[in-house]
Amino acid sequence: MLGNLLVSTLMSASVYAMLAVGFSLTFGVARIINLAHTAFYMVASYIIFTATMKMGLPLYVGVVAAVSLVVLLAMVTYKVLVDPMREHETTVLILTIGVALVLQELMFLWFGGYFRSVPTAVEGFTTLLGVRVSYQYVLTICVLIVTLALVWLLLMKTRLGLAIRATAQDREIANVMGMSDSRTATITVGIAAALAAIAGAIVAPLFIIEPRIWLSPLTVVLAISVLGGLGSLKGSILGAVIIALSENLVVFLVPQGAFFKGAFSLLIMIVVLLIRPEGLYGVAFEEER
Amino acid sequence: MLLAVKNLTVCYDTAMLLNDVSLNVATGELVGVVGPNGAGKTTLLRTIAGLVRWERECKRGTKAGNITIDGEIHFDGQRIDKLPPDEIARRGLVLCPERRRPFRELSVLDNLRAGAYLVKDHRVFQQSLESVYTMFPILKARAGQVSGTLSGGEQQMLAIARALMTQPKLLCIDEPSTGLSPKIRAELFAKIREIAKSGLTVLLVEQDVSLAFSLSTRNYILSHSKVMAEGTSDELMKDEKVRQSYLGLAGPASA
Repeated sequence: MLGNLLVSTLMSASVYAMLAVGFSLTFGVARIINLAHTAFYMVASYIIFTATMKMGLPLYVGVVAAVSLVVLLAMVTYKVLVDPMREHETTVLILTIGVALVLQELMFLWFGGYFRSVPTAVEGFTTLLGVRVSYQYVLTICVLIVTLALVWLLLMKTRLGLAIRATAQDREIANVMGMSDSRTATITVGIAAALAAIAGAIVAPLFIIEPRIWLSPLTVVLAISVLGGLGSLKGSILGAVIIALSENLVVFLVPQGAFFKGAFSLLIMIVVLLIRPEGLYGVAFEEER
Repeated sequence: MLLAVKNLTVCYDTAMLLNDVSLNVATGELVGVVGPNGAGKTTLLRTIAGLVRWERECKRGTKAGNITIDGEIHFDGQRIDKLPPDEIARRGLVLCPERRRPFRELSVLDNLRAGAYLVKDHRVFQQSLESVYTMFPILKARAGQVSGTLSGGEQQMLAIARALMTQPKLLCIDEPSTGLSPKIRAELFAKIREIAKSGLTVLLVEQDVSLAFSLSTRNYILSHSKVMAEGTSDELMKDEKVRQSYLGLAGPASA
């Protein structure tokens, strides 16, 4: 049972981390809370579904198409709809949840409310920590972890990463150092969307696809961001691990626990807000005059 | 003139923060801008660096975005008052901001790298890194440390070093002495003097008049959003009206 717990925690933790890191980066650099973030993940799954099941293309073509189309969609949405409204924080919340709902309804319109699935990239099973897991499952975890590692390298070792981290710390001073904040923000939104799309694309073969699959990851991502501290990378990853572990513990230890797991992450969120509102690695943003 | 500010007027909503301010800085000068709190000194530097215009762009459509900027700013022969801050940085004008503002969660070295963001040549980067390390050895010792954990004086040194890493033609320093002990202040001002001696043009905003005057070649006194007086440190120290009204020094100048 311990093996089971570990394997499924690793899976949810890496999916959550992919989503939370993008969400957090977008907040840190572009200063927007993007409630449409996980809708991009849902759209990516549908693009994979269309490419593989409707058009009969190979899975990897579907993944590439999903990632590039979703990045494009996110950047256009940001530039056209969100950026002009940026200073009106409440409007941005309403706007992005609106974008998510529009995307959801479009998927209902085009694909119906059926549960869809896509083929796996690899067949077969192996035994890991005494648990029987499919190769697809192992592949998915590996891709997610490698992607997270690449993002970490991008942020820590490249010039772009430096600009992203500096802008997240102090937008104004980053500008003074020659880093255009609007350019950095647009690129960051693109990276965040790419991460959501990769997560959506890579887990699509394991999960069921339907137009409402964005909602429960969104609440989890919000819980992770509150727990880890909004805007903090370390916090997003650690928060993802903690939430994934506690969700899985609830599922394994509590009778009928699967029904509680969503509620449990929200409970963690409420407790954190009461005890330590800035989260584990909360970034106290310096007031910009 | 390296920097020429002509008839600059800045209003935040109905509050006039700068009123018809004109100011010149020639290459190689160290020009001081002194004056009481709330005189508009910081706004002046922020406007020159393009941050006031940037702020207006960011907050367009809200009440806080109701900012008007009139007048012209010329730098190195070109008009810069319509440029975004990153473009102004690219032309060689850098601001070392009020309250130092290091990128707090970044290491000291990453802060310096961020300063050198526009420097693409690795050798130039290495050279300027060595020269700021020579000037501020403490930064080398603390290179890996998260900058938010540095002391106030160290953060100010980091802020100046970060600004120097941009390879500027004009260094604008805003209130470097704030919150520092007299000993650290003296050390810091010795470094600023050293920087100016090396040939870099400096525009220094400072509340501590005697500190500013000890360094500067020329000064502007800013009060109530206006330039009230202009001249060398000696001239201003001898001017009875200036001494009483703006420098808070009563009585005649002592020899």
